[in-house]
Amino acid sequence: MRKIIAALTMLALSSTSALPQDANLSPPPELTPAGARLVMSKVVDGFIRPGYRRFAETSGQLTSAMMQLCMAPSPEKLKAARQAFATAATDWARIEVVRVGPVIEKNRFERILFYPDRKGTGLRQVQALIANPDETATTPDGLSGKSVAMQGLGALEFVLHGSGSETLATDANGFRCRYGLAVAGNVQKVATELLQLWDNPDGIARDWKNPGPQSAVFRTPQEAMTEVLGILVHAAEAVRDQRVESFYKGEANNTFPKQALFWRAGLTFPMINGNLQGIKTLLDTSGLRDLLNADQQSIIGSIDFVLTSLMRVSGTITPDVEAAVTDTTERQKLDFVLLNSRDLILRLNDSLGGGLGLGAGFSFSDGD
Amino acid sequence: MVRSPALERRSFVRAAGLSFLAALSPRRLYALERADAVYASGFRAQDGTYGIATVSLRGAVIDRIALPARAHGLAYCRVTGRGVAFARRPGTFAMIFDPQAKAEPVVISAPEGRHYYGHGHFSPDGRILYASENDFDGNRGMIGLYDATDGFARIGEFDAGGIGTHDMTVSDDGGLLIIANGGIETHPDFGRTKLNLDRMQPSLVILDAATGDIVQRHALPEPLSQLSTRHLDIDEAGRIWFACQYEGPRTDLPPLAGHFSLGEDLHFIDLPQETTERLCNYVGAIAINRRENLVGLTSPKGGAAVILDAKTGKVLAEEKVVDAAGIAAAPDGIAVSSYDGTLAATRSRLAWDQHLVRLA
Repeated sequence: MRKIIAALTMLALSSTSALPQDANLSPPPELTPAGARLVMSKVVDGFIRPGYRRFAETSGQLTSAMMQLCMAPSPEKLKAARQAFATAATDWARIEVVRVGPVIEKNRFERILFYPDRKGTGLRQVQALIANPDETATTPDGLSGKSVAMQGLGALEFVLHGSGSETLATDANGFRCRYGLAVAGNVQKVATELLQLWDNPDGIARDWKNPGPQSAVFRTPQEAMTEVLGILVHAAEAVRDQRVESFYKGEANNTFPKQALFWRAGLTFPMINGNLQGIKTLLDTSGLRDLLNADQQSIIGSIDFVLTSLMRVSGTITPDVEAAVTDTTERQKLDFVLLNSRDLILRLNDSLGGGLGLGAGFSFSDGD
Repeated sequence: MVRSPALERRSFVRAAGLSFLAALSPRRLYALERADAVYASGFRAQDGTYGIATVSLRGAVIDRIALPARAHGLAYCRVTGRGVAFARRPGTFAMIFDPQAKAEPVVISAPEGRHYYGHGHFSPDGRILYASENDFDGNRGMIGLYDATDGFARIGEFDAGGIGTHDMTVSDDGGLLIIANGGIETHPDFGRTKLNLDRMQPSLVILDAATGDIVQRHALPEPLSQLSTRHLDIDEAGRIWFACQYEGPRTDLPPLAGHFSLGEDLHFIDLPQETTERLCNYVGAIAINRRENLVGLTSPKGGAAVILDAKTGKVLAEEKVVDAAGIAAAPDGIAVSSYDGTLAATRSRLAWDQHLVRLA
């Protein structure tokens, strides 16, 4: 027993002794419960709830647009439905960065957007359904019993932009349109559920905004800050891994433009932009900057610069993904996005994580 | 038989050979000469690169091998003297290395449709390497079998009897594979996102190592369905100890460790409330010192290391260890590494990753 304690004591002493630091920056300020509560209130009330509210509203508008298209089809109504889809989808991209909480329960995340779908399972199911109509897919209850790949925005993109979608402008109450309407309604339903769950003052919002022994989510301020940093890091990783590298992994690799998210709708890069906007909005809104020492404020400035550059460049890439991966100039932009998205991850994980005093970077505490 | 530190040092130096020693810098040679035991761990260097390093008893880095990405768990074979480091999920590589630097590392890859879950183990005779793997489209854990006598060619696989397989080990006689199925569904398409926290299926499984047949399976009871069974070790009496990570409400105080044996049900350790709170419902690693009947637990989230009596389950010691990471049996007591590079008396410039393995 004495040996055990001796061994542990030696470890503890060496862990806390005045070892030289790697940089000459001042140590992170103490994270107080009040400071954490303030940040978490801003995260919940300034980012998460408004994000889901906006998505619930625009997914509702999408449902309305689909209903009008089905009832009185016309090229204008089809255009309006496609525009409503683009608006709802990019609103989802902004709040999609939150991959924790109720959205990952009950398959909500996948029911809104099942992607990537490398084997094309969802596409095949949707194509088969349209070729062989099954009326149960046109009701909310019937649809909810089907594959998640048939329930969300990925399916609706094919309905609105896939082969045969031009018939939507002429076929009144056709199966394709009614199925698309059911999908839109399903997405709206999930979005509304998420809004209600986060708007409940006695629900998850209370636990998020009040880290401490009474919270069912965060016992300490550090746990809460780790979660916020985790949202940012995971979101940046998803941009690189899921949204860019799914079709473009760099100059020396094969390209897969038809694996890109929403390539038919020309929304591949607006979705990437939406994710980046979500990261930036969360970073700005949360007030994490206020938790950094004065000599570390440049961390936020550097992240902001990378984010802004990524949004600027991704916003100029042609919506034609096939052209984007073949044209030299466009590929250079993709290379820029890849390179800088990696940089963004490191800056969030290491620089911001270190500045907040969260150990050797977030991903090291994202255990296994 | 437990060898003395001095014997370990001599055998390491003798086995490593003069050419290896000559290749070491004076500083490294000094470190090696002073080594009382050797560990290995994954690390991240200050330039952001990853690798595995062999380390002396006092925490001095002896040698390092670069890796393309972050490693997670490691295993060591006493018969062949080879170690293995597995990629962190959803990685697809594992590197077999020779701590004595007599052989080139061997890198193997998970087959199409699989990725490694970060852990594995050698059969006691060193002939087979077992790896925990994810059949991600089938959403089932697997144990991959690799022939260590034939370049680590993949020779088969067993169904792990659950999902979210994580750590696994092998009984001392090699007849049983013991598997911790964490119960969490993940898919590489969704990165590290946990896809089923509201319907987890954790389980502990014993397979027949010869056939892959399930010998024993313990699904965790409903109240503990969010208790992810993650890491394993075996004590001197042959009991299998397991350590858990709880995904349910933070206001809960679930049991975080326990043990079971062949033919016996699960037995959870009733830790004191303050110990459970200190571990933050998250045990990141477990290791047993058989000679001293100690069970060590670390929690990076709680910044804590806890030592239990393997015979009684009672807490013998607990210490605050900021960013506590890997844990392994030391010649005396239990060794703990941390993300800030601390191991024993040394703080290196490498950030130690989640697991630490004892070599020899």
